[in-house]
Amino acid sequence: MSIDGNGVAGLLAEVFGAEMTTVRRRCADCHEDHEIGAHRAYRGAAVVLRCPGCGAVAARLLADGDRRLVELRGTWELAAATATA
Amino acid sequence: MSGRLLWRTVTVREVVPETARARTLVLDVDDWPRHVPGQHVDLRLTAEDGYQAQRSYSIASAPEDEALELTIDLVDDGEVSPYLVEEVRPGDQFEVRGPIGGHFTWDATRGGPLLLVGGGSGVVPLMSMLRHLRARGGGIDARLLLSARTAGDVLYADELDRLSGDGIAQVHLTLTRGTPAGWTGFARRVDDDMLRAVGPGPDAARHVFVCGPTGFVEHAIEALLRLGHPPQRIRAERFGPTGGATP
Repeated sequence: MSIDGNGVAGLLAEVFGAEMTTVRRRCADCHEDHEIGAHRAYRGAAVVLRCPGCGAVAARLLADGDRRLVELRGTWELAAATATA
Repeated sequence: MSGRLLWRTVTVREVVPETARARTLVLDVDDWPRHVPGQHVDLRLTAEDGYQAQRSYSIASAPEDEALELTIDLVDDGEVSPYLVEEVRPGDQFEVRGPIGGHFTWDATRGGPLLLVGGGSGVVPLMSMLRHLRARGGGIDARLLLSARTAGDVLYADELDRLSGDGIAQVHLTLTRGTPAGWTGFARRVDDDMLRAVGPGPDAARHVFVCGPTGFVEHAIEALLRLGHPPQRIRAERFGPTGGATP
């Protein structure tokens, strides 16, 4: 099942404490910049976010009870989260 | 928009039938932060034994509306939507958190021209944008292309007629699984010629929003890119799974 980063915005906000879909990420593989909301999300046991340009893994997110496990790849411009209203 | 997302208890004020498979829940919620059209909420149901199920639903109402409205489309064998579509009654309560999302959003301060392309219940967040535009008095070139299986599957059909009649937006429908007698709209999957006819073209359209099942969105975006719409002006929201069905 493929959705996009918008569909896991709540989970991302849980982890980061901020709206994340407008954050830009530079892919470590193809070096393209895309907003997190434009990334593809695949829901399995974990949520895997992938670069919309090349499909490289951008993040793995696992909600396990009250714990949230996150593995990030590429460059996430987190400052953008507070710059947008 | 910042800070932790809070789960809030909402109370169903009214249930509005939309189609045979969808209905709108009008919700009362205390201290709801004003949303931006295009945003969604996470909705959580808790069973008596503590089991919880959570889904995301786009907000259908305009920020200017007094209540929060969600339009829920029935997903066969779904865990949450059958309850919301078939069983919920006024006075029932559940939890929502939000509003969520900043990527797939638009408000009138961002101007137009605006091209909205929706497949099936993908029209819901686009409707929030059009209702917001109506509340602001229109004045922006806004066009909606909505793909549905049959005339009976078109959400907000009467209201879309009024939006069109009042000059708030140009509304174009395409039906992919049969048309009623006398149908004058489109009757095929979204394609290049259809998008060209709806306009505005790539030189004019400032903001393009596409929402629907994953297959529909991919198909529509490919057509938009072929027409020359710059990818950075296209925002998409996909939902699934749909088993490859075309709305």
